[in-house]
Amino acid sequence: MQAQSGSLLPPTPALNFGGPRAVRGALALAAAVAVYYFAAGNEVRMGTFWVLGLAFGFVLQRSRFCFASAFRDIFLLRHGRTLKGVLVGLAVAAVGFSTLMARQVPNTALGVLPPDANVLPMGLHTVVGGILFGFGMVIAGGCVSGSIYRMGEGYVASWVSFFGIILGVLGAAYTWNWWWEFQIEDGLRLWLPNLLGHGGALVLTLAALAGLFVLTLWWESRAGVVVPDAPFQAEEEANFAARLRNLFKRIFVHGWTPLLGGAVLGGLNVVSFITERPWGFTGELSRWSIGISNSLGFGPGILKGVDALPGCTLELGDNGVLHFMLFLVLGMIYGSFLAAYFAGEFKIRIPRQRIRFVQAGGGGLIMGYGAGIAMGCTIGAFFSAIASLAVNGWVFAIFLAVGAWLGTQAIQRIP
Amino acid sequence: MSKQIDLRGEICPYPMMKTVQALKKLGREDHELVVIIDHAPALETIPTQAERLGFTVEIKETGSPEWRITLTRK
Repeated sequence: MQAQSGSLLPPTPALNFGGPRAVRGALALAAAVAVYYFAAGNEVRMGTFWVLGLAFGFVLQRSRFCFASAFRDIFLLRHGRTLKGVLVGLAVAAVGFSTLMARQVPNTALGVLPPDANVLPMGLHTVVGGILFGFGMVIAGGCVSGSIYRMGEGYVASWVSFFGIILGVLGAAYTWNWWWEFQIEDGLRLWLPNLLGHGGALVLTLAALAGLFVLTLWWESRAGVVVPDAPFQAEEEANFAARLRNLFKRIFVHGWTPLLGGAVLGGLNVVSFITERPWGFTGELSRWSIGISNSLGFGPGILKGVDALPGCTLELGDNGVLHFMLFLVLGMIYGSFLAAYFAGEFKIRIPRQRIRFVQAGGGGLIMGYGAGIAMGCTIGAFFSAIASLAVNGWVFAIFLAVGAWLGTQAIQRIP
Repeated sequence: MSKQIDLRGEICPYPMMKTVQALKKLGREDHELVVIIDHAPALETIPTQAERLGFTVEIKETGSPEWRITLTRK
């Protein structure tokens, strides 16, 4: 037990790796290694994406990187602590993506799009999807990635959200063909390098991100709210062992700042793109519910045009259970669990009010529907899309913010 | 007089919102509010909001992961 008065924030808890905890921790790590060999034995990519998933989950948990709070707290608390982390992550990913895409499409004047970048058709579905997603994530208390890492931390409500999301994308699939004919098929796919060249597109994107960062600082100063980073309570670095302990504590126990979390997530996103495709997983979640419902005979059937679209577009799920993206999602949940376990932050948390389950499930459904028609969540249609230097990422972001504002109004009315 | 609210199990952002509500409802005779939480992100948001409302903050780690936050009127 530790106490501290006068200070705003709690000290970093002590390292606690001894006894039965160490044994359980070792078993949990061994399980991760076993799954890796199983996955990689099936297909190399499956193993790679399991490891990538573990890394994403670990970083999300360590920095408690919540995209929902990034958008919500600008309105609710008038501070942009997480939003600034998101902006840094976008800048890191944009640089990496740009380098990669410049190799894939050397001549931008031809109007060709990089095949795996998240350049998506825009239209009313982007607007409606963004608003629904932003609203749903605030109601549910976390977006898709936020729900995934909180599942690993033991939040039961997040498991309910996750289930809602999976049903929500199925709902989107039932209406996909209508949206396809109404908007998506003829939707403009605007890739900034086609207009400005690789250098110009990257410079414009980085300038916009920097501008937003400054705007966020101004917004925080105007409201007078600046949330400080938790102080790190280091022990005196008397010798090598003490230094090593401090390092371990910084990584595994002390929470990472959103700026660090954002930067590392941006870097991991580049690794994901180099390996296969940008980070994103709502397409994979849709593969589960669409695949199961189709195989049971009540599914949405054929979805027009989805094969030709990149990113987190709905997937039919007719290609078997195992897929490398499955390992990404499971890896994220497990990576967050490991991070939370070693930091002493794992706990099964059950909300006492029944309304919270309704919020989690309902918010998940709304989010899932929004992500389905917008072809991605805060990751696929935003974090990976802006980094792809695609205009649709910015459009989605604007309406995410609108939805988050609406959601913020709503949660203040729910007791 | 001291009041206490137990917000364990609550989802984001309710630990912070309910604490702010409770602080605003404190009567004149109540000088202290004790908040029990298990939602780590609230360790950053509750102190900031409480400070704004004129309370000092003391955080004790009482479990893994559970915290007892004592907010005292300045």
